[in-house]
Amino acid sequence: MGLFGSSSSPAATSGSGEQQEIKTAIVKQLQAEAAMANARQLIGKVNEHCFDHCVPSPGSTMTPGESTCLSQCMEKYISLWNVASKAYLARAASEKKTNGLDTIAMNSLATGGPPQTSL
Amino acid sequence: MDQTLDISKLSDADKKELSQFLQNESQKSAIQQNVHHIADTCWKKCITSRISSGRLDKNEEACASNCVDRWMDTNLAVLKHLETLQRQ
Repeated sequence: MGLFGSSSSPAATSGSGEQQEIKTAIVKQLQAEAAMANARQLIGKVNEHCFDHCVPSPGSTMTPGESTCLSQCMEKYISLWNVASKAYLARAASEKKTNGLDTIAMNSLATGGPPQTSL
Repeated sequence: MDQTLDISKLSDADKKELSQFLQNESQKSAIQQNVHHIADTCWKKCITSRISSGRLDKNEEACASNCVDRWMDTNLAVLKHLETLQRQ
């Protein structure tokens, strides 16, 4: 899954026009909220790490060097996020296949992720 | 509540479909949360020198990938050991 990836919506199946509208509205709102929550997390982390890294001693103005560093840092963070995501999904799939472990739910215990309850 | 979101108007098939969608979204969000946490940790471990490019260099990329696997090993080891402690 890419950083800004979204999952597919339920296929439009039978149902009246009104039912379709209700479904579409729920799906769209949920996807928008999920995307926002994801972006919020990323922005927070980039801000924290890149401020630490690029502005070690804040002066009275931002220097050109600091600005360049911030742009590169941001791109680097997103690259690292994508590498981590790819490695993570590969590992989770292999644990599931060879050991039958639901590592995503297990990892959530350590990451403060949502508890995995079946709906 | 928005009137267009009145789920009582949905059929059982629609509700089932939505429930499946919710389950997928929930799983996706758990994955993203885990990756955010791991990326945060691995950034601290792997990006230690001055940043001079927006791309990851070979070492950083290898470090990030190893970092994810060792983080997973650690999490599994912690949970496994916790289980043995509980049995004592």
